Amino acid sequence: MNKEDLIKKWLDNSLSPEELEAFKKLEDYAALTKLSNHLKFFKPEAYATDKELETVMGKIKAQNTPTSWFKPFLRIAAILFLSFSIYYFASGLDTTIHTLAASKTLVELPDHSSVNLNAGSSLVYNKRAWDDHREVTLDGEAFFKVAKGSKFDVVTSAGTVSVMGTQFNVKERDSYFEVICYEGLVKVSHETQETYLRPGDSFLILDGKIIATEKTQDLGPSWLNNTSNFKSVPLQMVLDELERQFNVTVNASSVDTSKLFTGSFTHDNLETALKSVTLPFHLSYSISNNTITLKRG
Amino acid sequence: MPKNITEHICDDTLFSKAFKTYAEDLYHFLYYKFGDRLNPRDKVQEAFIKLWENCKQVPPSKAKSFVFTVANNLMLNEVAHQKVVLKYAQETPQNHTNESPEFILREKEYQEKLQNALAKLTEAQRTAFLLNRIEGKKFKEIAELLDISVKAVEKRIYGALAKLREDIEEI
Repeated sequence: MNKEDLIKKWLDNSLSPEELEAFKKLEDYAALTKLSNHLKFFKPEAYATDKELETVMGKIKAQNTPTSWFKPFLRIAAILFLSFSIYYFASGLDTTIHTLAASKTLVELPDHSSVNLNAGSSLVYNKRAWDDHREVTLDGEAFFKVAKGSKFDVVTSAGTVSVMGTQFNVKERDSYFEVICYEGLVKVSHETQETYLRPGDSFLILDGKIIATEKTQDLGPSWLNNTSNFKSVPLQMVLDELERQFNVTVNASSVDTSKLFTGSFTHDNLETALKSVTLPFHLSYSISNNTITLKRG
Repeated sequence: MPKNITEHICDDTLFSKAFKTYAEDLYHFLYYKFGDRLNPRDKVQEAFIKLWENCKQVPPSKAKSFVFTVANNLMLNEVAHQKVVLKYAQETPQNHTNESPEFILREKEYQEKLQNALAKLTEAQRTAFLLNRIEGKKFKEIAELLDISVKAVEKRIYGALAKLREDIEEI
């Protein structure tokens, strides 16, 4: 066996007794043993496994305690955050108020302006943006009592009504758009045209044409007192209003509905209301299952 | 090794067992590789704490390589930060006190030469060599510890021995 193999076996502590004898006879024997003995002085302090383990466990336990409250805390925080953000998101959405046929409602706006909403109308406004600009979107008819403050806009499909603090009525039904000012000053923007309304003034557009109207002496719209007033309005519009106020269907196919009607009907009694509308035109009516059929003569 | 039903080591008993099995070897590994300056003891602790923190991802069979890798990386991070000269905790030969002063001086000189020579070895050589010489580990045990072949261990140790002798004798 050569020297290198012997040394390797010695290193691995796997020399047989004979091999050990051979190894001892090597000229390197003295140097190798000396080296080996001196290396032992580099041995580090004994490693106290149990003591070290205790330290490690201690540190782990110390770390675990904060996580034990921190994790559920995170969960709660996440839930709170989520619900707050949903609330915040939802509160930023528009508020919509809708009246069904034969019902009216009073809407209190964030600045205590009030809106009386007539039957079959809807009003949309944004609570969050209210402080920045007072704006409501209206489809139908409503009477506004606007608290003093910045510009108040009523946006309808036919035009925008802007005011400072006043009482006015906006009626926008299909081809009919009417604004009546009862107090203060109202600006009506229709397409490119701007009109200022003083108390008693009204602004009416019928089928895209501006109709001149007389000054009104009323202090508020008649519908607030449960009557509908009309001045030279096509019969169709009157019947539409009748449908909305009584939640009925009017069949007027055999009648000329383009004739103009001036007068009023009450919202309290269907028979009375029908009579007020049909008598001037010499029409007769029959009621069955919420359907009213109008006939000539 | 029988397959454990619990696939991870998140259990006081399993963890303690792993610690008792590997901690000392890991300590020696770090000590011989990087010397005493970089606190191998602390690194062993840190590595095992990391093992606990990641216990869900580490099956018991991977625990050893996990702590060895983590501890080695911890060391390397520090080596990169502070290039420290290797210095072994030295125990002066106490059993030679009744020798002549001249002999003691020569012994001391030899010890110093040896220390310098050891510092010059590659990390791989020194680790394998000192695990063998000082801890009395067999080639096979070292091979398992370092995840290398027995042949490679033999080569490293013999290479280290040859280099040491060369360095010591030439001065």
